[in-house]
Amino acid sequence: MTTTDATGVAAAATHEAVRSPLREFWRKFRRNRTAMAAGFCLLALVLAAAAAPWIAPFDPAAFDYDRILEGPSAGHWAGTDAYGRDILSRILWGARISLSVGLLSVLLGGGAGVALGLIAGFRGGWIDSLIMRVCDVLLAFPGILLAIGIVAVLGPGVENVIYGVAIFSVPVFARLVRGSTLSLKRAVYVDAARAIGVRDRLLMVRHILPGTLPSVIVYVSMRIGTSILTAASLSFIGLGAQPPSPEWGAMLADGRSYIGVASHVTFYPGLAIFLTVLAFNLLGDGLRDALDPKLR
Amino acid sequence: MNRFVLPLLAGLLAGTALAGPAFAAKDLVVGLPDNITTLDPADINDTLSQSASRTMLQGLFGFDKDMKLVPLLAESFTVNDTATEYTYRLRKNVTFHDGTPFNAQAVKTNFDRLANPANRLKRQSLLAMLAETVVVDDYTITLKLAQPFGALNNNLAHPGAMIHSPKALETYGKEIGRHPVGTGPYKFVSWEADTLKVEKNDKYWKPGLPKIDHVTLKSVPENGSRIAMLQTNEAQFIYPLPSEMVKMVEANNQLELIDAPSIVARYVALNTMKKPFNDPRVRQALNYAIDKNAYAKVVYRGYAGPLDSAIPSKLGFHVTQPNQYTYDLAKAKALLAEAGYPNGFEAEMFGRNSTNFIRGMQFVQQQLSQIGVKLTVTPLESGVETARIWSVEKPEDATVQMNYSGWSASTGDADWGLRPLLWGKGFPPKFYNVAYYKNDTVDTAIEAGIATADDAKRAEAYRVAQEQIWKDAPWIFLGVENLLAGKSKKLTGFYYVADGGLQMEEADLQ
Amino acid sequence: MLKYLVGRIAGILPVLLVISVFVFGFVHLLPGDPARLVAGPDATQRDVELVRQDLGLDQPLWVQYGRFLGNAVQGEFGRSMKSKRPVSQEIGERFMPTLYLTVVAMVWATLAGLLIGVASATRRGRWQDHVGMVVAVSGIAFPSFWLGLLMIDLFSVKLGWLPTSGYGTWQHYVMPSLTLGLGVAAVMARFTRSAFIEIAREDYVRTARAKGVPARLVVWKHTLRNALIPIITMVGLQFGFLLGGSIVVETVFSWPGLGRLLVDSVNYRDYTVIQAEILLFSLEFIIINLLVDVLYALANPEIRYS
Repeated sequence: MTTTDATGVAAAATHEAVRSPLREFWRKFRRNRTAMAAGFCLLALVLAAAAAPWIAPFDPAAFDYDRILEGPSAGHWAGTDAYGRDILSRILWGARISLSVGLLSVLLGGGAGVALGLIAGFRGGWIDSLIMRVCDVLLAFPGILLAIGIVAVLGPGVENVIYGVAIFSVPVFARLVRGSTLSLKRAVYVDAARAIGVRDRLLMVRHILPGTLPSVIVYVSMRIGTSILTAASLSFIGLGAQPPSPEWGAMLADGRSYIGVASHVTFYPGLAIFLTVLAFNLLGDGLRDALDPKLR
Repeated sequence: MNRFVLPLLAGLLAGTALAGPAFAAKDLVVGLPDNITTLDPADINDTLSQSASRTMLQGLFGFDKDMKLVPLLAESFTVNDTATEYTYRLRKNVTFHDGTPFNAQAVKTNFDRLANPANRLKRQSLLAMLAETVVVDDYTITLKLAQPFGALNNNLAHPGAMIHSPKALETYGKEIGRHPVGTGPYKFVSWEADTLKVEKNDKYWKPGLPKIDHVTLKSVPENGSRIAMLQTNEAQFIYPLPSEMVKMVEANNQLELIDAPSIVARYVALNTMKKPFNDPRVRQALNYAIDKNAYAKVVYRGYAGPLDSAIPSKLGFHVTQPNQYTYDLAKAKALLAEAGYPNGFEAEMFGRNSTNFIRGMQFVQQQLSQIGVKLTVTPLESGVETARIWSVEKPEDATVQMNYSGWSASTGDADWGLRPLLWGKGFPPKFYNVAYYKNDTVDTAIEAGIATADDAKRAEAYRVAQEQIWKDAPWIFLGVENLLAGKSKKLTGFYYVADGGLQMEEADLQ
Repeated sequence: MLKYLVGRIAGILPVLLVISVFVFGFVHLLPGDPARLVAGPDATQRDVELVRQDLGLDQPLWVQYGRFLGNAVQGEFGRSMKSKRPVSQEIGERFMPTLYLTVVAMVWATLAGLLIGVASATRRGRWQDHVGMVVAVSGIAFPSFWLGLLMIDLFSVKLGWLPTSGYGTWQHYVMPSLTLGLGVAAVMARFTRSAFIEIAREDYVRTARAKGVPARLVVWKHTLRNALIPIITMVGLQFGFLLGGSIVVETVFSWPGLGRLLVDSVNYRDYTVIQAEILLFSLEFIIINLLVDVLYALANPEIRYS
């Protein structure tokens, strides 16, 4: 009974401590106009993606063989593609897929990485060595190679692209979290919690994990951009999302033969990818400056 | 870092020096879509490497630019009635690039090498029926076959049966694919990574040829980069030209479009052992439900013709079928209703995952939806395709319902257009009969066609086969795509042949 | 130091062994039958069987792995299944083009990254900082194949300034190295900026400034020198990545390098080439990591190895 009470007190104390840094963070972050703008852009994009069924002017899969490769016009703001499909509608619908690929792959890879990093850092010893050596091996390959490997084995398609891209986020997060865990392990409040008998698992989740979160959040933001780009590269090699999926990378890869003839077919999806990745990175930069200026 | 930078600078300088302008010499650059695999035609299975070897090597027969069989190193031939013994008179005064004379012994060396399974050559099947080669005299050779084979000359015209210098075969052994020595218009110079260079053979047996001094074949996989090379005159010929890029060639007054019918049949094979495709009325209904003109327009931007029989019109013994499946939705629906599917059905369609295949599949999907047939399109990567379709051991294990495919019969003969695809004994994994189509009339005809060298008998056999297949409709007959390539207007005498091969013997730059 | 080096080098072997198992497993997990792919689309079943025997794929897996490992130990990787050439030749002729391209891209990208990074850091929070970072980050945000194709269209086709693709003269290097280096430049710029900001807070830099050392000198002499160590690490890491050959850039610009070879060999299920190439990448990466650690020690004698 006493233990429970003590934990409750400790948790309340942590809670108290977290709130004011949050306010501090917001104060700093708000001053960074670039990051704020990026954040608003992304918010708008997420809303647009969510509202795609209502705001997209056309069915993204509807062929119109009489309007093939038409440039932007009043009817089709971003023009039509090789099948006469409305490019704007496809971009709006594609935002759902592309954002999901970015988000899910990073959450998946990041989640696994964070767990591994926590365990490695907290337990130390042979578990630590094992996890870190495996991460070294994974890091020894350029991310795109790993993704190609995974997708080549599993077969192309959006779902497998997510797994492929997730894999190479794992070691990055594992290293990051292990580093923070090592220093947090010796923090006074953790010692205190341990002294009053809080169990290891609870210690990791309740007390150490929140401390690593700022750096994790920054990385998540940046990795989402990388993941969207990697998915596009996979499409270029023919291993990405398969047409007719309006995933942005697939649209870009599919329309690349028209550069010079009907450049609008790739211009708008390309722009969408560019702006999104840019926004995620600028947001990440802003978050880093506000959360943890020491983080690289 | 210095260790890297120095050789780098040296490399750059050397590169600049080499790239200086070449005077007067006629240099041709050809942009290819892929890498050359080897230059030993007996061991090649891709059209591109065959085209590359064809610049240097020749066979007893070949195809002219219209896919007509023409004698090259053979002057004439005789054959017995049962098509088991062929005798060839060879061309005299021909020498290989290394000075070795071309004669019957050279032919024997090459054919014995190709026919011997122990050599494990990929084109061994071309001469698998060969029992014995007999050198009659220096310029006469007799081929004795283990079983009748009527299309032997076509097989000998296949690039796989081209003749290497026997001396080179002896010298280079397994490395022959890197050191081709033949009798062709150009001689081998170098082949590094993605670039093959050949030069004029001054002693070529056809007088006045070739006219080009150097030919460079360069692999440029990215379509956009390849057409850019043509636009900037870094290349004078590129292929293939994706149909969406035709406009770029047409817009440039220095360039010319090559647009000619190919021998590539496009169709959807229907698994005739599976419901509902086991009912010929269903298969016919699907044929009626597709607007073939729209297919050509949408999938190939109009650069395609009809597939009006089981084989494309450029193949030998092709017969245009009188009762075409003209686009008729009412008829299609009626046939479906008659077969017991008034509301259509659902099915899955496989096909390769390349842009064109996917475009074609999307089109078929959309067209069939008009008669209530709902298709799931599953694009397969080549490795997966092999596992799912071609390696299936027993017909009952096949999961394929519909397969969007293409076939190019590289011997130019009806036999290779039908036997691998529609012969009852050619189910996967033996051949490619993925429709699992078996019809006794067709089987007999296909077997009769190959058992004789008598053209009249062969024509009759293939007429019967084509008629029956058309009626049974084991495929949705979609079309025959055109070959598209771009070339500089200065380039003449350069041919893109219906089988997808290149002929540059007569090429010239103005 | 010497003991450390020997230990590190000895440590490479088990890692490579693990990777070899990994790689061997990977190629055999790839769906598809290489014998059929090698034999070609219109080969008969008999042809396919001939090819399978020829490639040794009819042997049990452990025999195949044993042979692969045995050969690899002798630096021999057999013949490419596709071209039948020795794998060492196949990889050898593609190594230098990738190396050259990597070096050119790394050099410009590192310099540009350093400049932008320092410029941003010294004007932290001002508009120059924001512009610098937005420009730098834009570099990572381009899908590289799209950028490459747009450049070809502009600089080769429309303007006629540069050759479209291929390998040879210095002109051929411009567009590929630009495309390839853009991402690296962005990473370097960001990284330099934060390394700089952090070091500028250190006591000795403050002391120097307080002593009246001119601002410019502080930047270049004190700060940059100390920021160099993390920057070296970053350069090493990025260099290792690029050495794998950029699959996308090499394909767009028809660069005859390792990246293109890898994609081709995955497509053709050319087991021998894939295995050798991935082993090579791992080895390269391990060696570069080692070099970076040694450079670390040289740049900062205070780092001791035990």
